[in-house]
Amino acid sequence: MTAVIRAEGLTKFYGESRGVVDLGFDVEAGEVFGFLGPNGAGKTTTIRLMLDLIRPSVGRLEIFGLDVRKQSVAVRSRTGYLPGDLHLYERLTPREYLRYIAALRGLDGLGEGEALAERFELELERPIKALSKGNRQKVGLVQAFLHRPDLLLLDEPTAGLDPLVQQTFNELLREVVAEGRTVFLSSHILSEVQRLADRVAIIREGSLELLEAVETLRARAFVRVEATFSEPPPQEAFANLPGVRELERHGPVVLLALEGSADPLIKALARYEVLALDSHEADLEDFFLALYRKGASCAE
Amino acid sequence: MLSSVFLKTLRDRRRGFIYWALGLVAFIAMEVAVYPTVRDNPEFKKLSENYPDAVKSFFGFGGQFDITSGAGFLGIEAFSMIVPLILIFCTVAAGASAIAGEEERGTLDLLLSLPVSRSRCLLEKLAALVVETLALGLVLWTALVIAVPLAKMHVGVGELLAASLLATALALVLGMIALAVGAASGRRGLAIGVSASLAVATYVVNSLASLVGWLEHLQWASPFFYYARSDPLRNGLDVSDLLVLLGIALVAACLAPIAFARRDLSTP
Repeated sequence: MTAVIRAEGLTKFYGESRGVVDLGFDVEAGEVFGFLGPNGAGKTTTIRLMLDLIRPSVGRLEIFGLDVRKQSVAVRSRTGYLPGDLHLYERLTPREYLRYIAALRGLDGLGEGEALAERFELELERPIKALSKGNRQKVGLVQAFLHRPDLLLLDEPTAGLDPLVQQTFNELLREVVAEGRTVFLSSHILSEVQRLADRVAIIREGSLELLEAVETLRARAFVRVEATFSEPPPQEAFANLPGVRELERHGPVVLLALEGSADPLIKALARYEVLALDSHEADLEDFFLALYRKGASCAE
Repeated sequence: MLSSVFLKTLRDRRRGFIYWALGLVAFIAMEVAVYPTVRDNPEFKKLSENYPDAVKSFFGFGGQFDITSGAGFLGIEAFSMIVPLILIFCTVAAGASAIAGEEERGTLDLLLSLPVSRSRCLLEKLAALVVETLALGLVLWTALVIAVPLAKMHVGVGELLAASLLATALALVLGMIALAVGAASGRRGLAIGVSASLAVATYVVNSLASLVGWLEHLQWASPFFYYARSDPLRNGLDVSDLLVLLGIALVAACLAPIAFARRDLSTP
């Protein structure tokens, strides 16, 4: 299978400051490729490189087998883009805006825009400057999809969308992928990417840290347990427990990562006086914390 | 009006354009209303003849400094400073906002994510600037053609056309420079600053060249030199001067896409 997106040694520096460093990955046709990382990690930089809005310092980047620099217009004609930081023409109505986008894409009317707007319950006639954040995001989404692109580059697409609209968005993505089209989805929310993506690349401080199928990632998922004791437990209290890793310790508060059965941990906790116990599914930050605490075992 | 970058740009500029055009028409109307008083009062002639050379040089336009003749009055009162100023304000604002304005507002990223090459985007915006400048020149000429006979100024339609064309070409030069600086830097303020400074500096160089010896050698570099030296209100159009101005505008227009194609676009 040929890759829809192929990055090799992709590096971008802005003067001295780091954009992305030596990125290499393939995105296959018909998959949702999650591009996960905290804010400032280089997600937007990567997407802007794909659209030739900025130019790589070093490295190769091909989309549909075309060089994104030399054949940029051909790449862009088959690509839909939703910017993370969306700026629209404030004085236009969504209908006027979408008509402009459609015209520059060589389509009559709004293309698929009319149907998409209806689906997202986007009101087309009020000036954009009067719209809420969520409604603006809908305009951004509709313009990205209206020409039925083969590839969607979506930068934090669900920002500002209420849960119901997110549902519609998720359905739309599933349809797109079912048609064999491809989605490159950037996000800083682990659960969102886990829900939508087939494979996940994790980017941190400009470098690719991890590239795995979501299933594999899920297997690594853990629960974060925060226990507050009446007095600090011994340093070795939670060492060598199966499935348990101590992540952090601040006096009597101990942060633990738990994989698999909770029983060994509960038994261990019971030996001390526990004032408070809190647990929830790990988010991206916890995930990073665990990734780096594991150290060498994870860097293979 | 939303089927191309060219038409969208014109649409975006319509409000600004109408204000500048109204200002221009109001100014011409006021000048015409004042002229009979100046013409019929011999004191003005004596007064203006006795102005110091520095004043004559600074506020003169082309030929002799004669405020009571129609051509002299229009030159001194309108074409020496205010008319080019209004035109330049308008074209510099349009030129600076063409690329840099969209870039600073953050709308350029999405525009250039569409299958529109940077050079095509820039050329359509450039074409819109040319059309807007020509339209403003047409407003100027039309206002003059209507107003000048009313005040019995005795300046021919051809001479008015010559002066209007040169003023339009001069404004186009500075508008193109603003567009080029904006396309090269992505910064609207810088584009306005550079063009406005250039306009002031080259105006001063040209105005004072006849008084300050060493400035005379710089005069050829001032677009105002080619704008005024033929005294178009009396002598009609000097085509070579018009071509020089259009040539400078063309050079700026050619540099703009080259600079724009090379750089990274910025986000607000």
